[in-house]
Amino acid sequence: MSARGLALDGVSLRLGSFALRDLRLEIGTGEVLVLLGANGAGKSVCLETIAGFHRPDAGRILIGGRDVTAEPPERRRVGLLLQSFALFPHLSAAENVAVGFRGRNHREARRAAEALLARFGAEHLARRRPQLLSPGEKQRIALARALASRPELFLFDEPFSALDMETRDALRDELAEFLRRSQIPAIFVTHDHTDALVLADQVAIMERGGIVQSGRAAEVFARPAATGIARFLGVENLLDGRLEQAPDGRLRFAVGGAALEVAPLPASAARAGRPAIACIRAGEVRLGRHRAAPPDAGASHLEGRILSQRSLGPLCTVTLDCGFRLVACLMARDARELGLAPGAVVAAQIPSDAVHILPGEALG
Amino acid sequence: MQEASEVAPEAPPPVAGLAPPPALGVLLVAWLFAGLLLAFILLPLLQLVATPSLASLRRAAGDTDIASALGLSLIGAALAALLSATIGVPLAYLLARTRFPGRATVAAIADLPLCVPHTVAGIALLMVFGRRGLVGRPAEALFGLQFWGSLAGVVVAMAFVAVPYMVNAARIGFEAVDPRLEKVARTLGMGPWEVLLRITLPLAAHGIATGFALTFARAISEFGAVVILAYYPMTAPVRIYELFLRFGLDDAVAAAVLLLALSLALFVLFRHFVQRVAPMPGIGR
Repeated sequence: MSARGLALDGVSLRLGSFALRDLRLEIGTGEVLVLLGANGAGKSVCLETIAGFHRPDAGRILIGGRDVTAEPPERRRVGLLLQSFALFPHLSAAENVAVGFRGRNHREARRAAEALLARFGAEHLARRRPQLLSPGEKQRIALARALASRPELFLFDEPFSALDMETRDALRDELAEFLRRSQIPAIFVTHDHTDALVLADQVAIMERGGIVQSGRAAEVFARPAATGIARFLGVENLLDGRLEQAPDGRLRFAVGGAALEVAPLPASAARAGRPAIACIRAGEVRLGRHRAAPPDAGASHLEGRILSQRSLGPLCTVTLDCGFRLVACLMARDARELGLAPGAVVAAQIPSDAVHILPGEALG
Repeated sequence: MQEASEVAPEAPPPVAGLAPPPALGVLLVAWLFAGLLLAFILLPLLQLVATPSLASLRRAAGDTDIASALGLSLIGAALAALLSATIGVPLAYLLARTRFPGRATVAAIADLPLCVPHTVAGIALLMVFGRRGLVGRPAEALFGLQFWGSLAGVVVAMAFVAVPYMVNAARIGFEAVDPRLEKVARTLGMGPWEVLLRITLPLAAHGIATGFALTFARAISEFGAVVILAYYPMTAPVRIYELFLRFGLDDAVAAAVLLLALSLALFVLFRHFVQRVAPMPGIGR
């Protein structure tokens, strides 16, 4: 177990018909873990258990190396940030922060709170009531308040979920910067992939009370461990096919009459004839007017007829019929220059390392 | 870190206020009935207030019997409101914050005095708090405390009929407190009692204070239960009733106007106090 940070060691909890199942996590100092999952997957219960509001039936929770499994919330040293930041509405900004300074007299706490607010560039807000603060100001007050209690772990439960996209983006960037500087480990619960991509060092995905995949953020997004996870992460292309042995001995992924080049697979998975699912992110597919290069192991080259096209502002997604349906995503400008239109035939190129194979799976 | 502060404060959550205004016909009919209601309430009261001459009012105010009845009503209602708060707020908290078997029944029991006719309540109270009652007898034996015909009896009768207002208003107050605030307070280092005292109660103060005002108003106007459990010492409503029976309408009116003025003045004062000291907290959204 890491001496600092957070460790969940087989935490299980039954709450009525819901259960947390054998949660295992480790977060090091300064690391941010983003906990992703659909509504009802158990993300918030997991956070509340770490914060001390539920007592696990089994397992241990270690914060900063201390076993806090039996401790009440007030002795766990966690900073909890909830949706819309949950500032105390009957207290001014400075009084909110002063609550975090425990064990000091009123005047000292107040002075410490004002000093801390100054560090957040928010000293002018000290007397303001939370109702009069913007979301950005609320976030700063809430971070200062949590920081005042000298937490060893931050827990965020969808703090941005009530905000519009622009505010969200601004607050997320500010938070990422804050967490990087504070070096306090954090768990961030969300169902927004952007939160994960911007904030996460690690990502863990929850489903029905259990963690179904965890790892480096880029790795989890590129290589979901199951089709359910791939769907949840919004992988645009999930292809139902099988692995085939080519005459040259390499494995390829056969789908709809085409054979896609794949990166070398681990020996256990590399069995020809097996059904498999290929996950391909739309952004990895490159479109061109002509087949660019002769076939090689580094990429597959296909031709497809454009079925439909959808503009997403700066981006554009194109659905092709290559013998199977393939969704590609490209910059709007590139799409214009290529002169894409429904019915036109274009060349598609898929790098072999962008084809993530889930052996032994089939689409339900 | 500067950009975010340019963002305007969050707009208040959209409410039904955006609904289109009702049609003219609907408004007219609604106002017609609303006018009837206002007249129904105001007409008798205004007529009452307009009736006695200044001289008779002054004479009534100088009458020591009437003055002491008004004083007793004031003290009794204040004590009844305090008693109601003491025993009503904890139940309000339980009803707002916990789920337990029989919760609906408990809530219904707390509302029961609202539908018990007040003379019936008085008789029932007399049987328990009277000299031979389940509570009355040991109270007198142990503490020398007598309910029948005493201030204690006035307070008990008033509290019985008024306590539902306390429970319901305080319960609404507790329900309006966002439990997430209590969670955050715990993680900031407060124990459960400190959270109750520093977060929950202050945020529920509006509901509790409203309950106090309603309970007081209900208590000072109580007649039926008081008259049976504690005819003496006379509270103002009992005094007015006696004046009416013994001397007729004219003598009762002046005392009635004084009681009305006192009750209204105190109620308005309380409402003002509630708004000033315990305003409705904005929910931290």
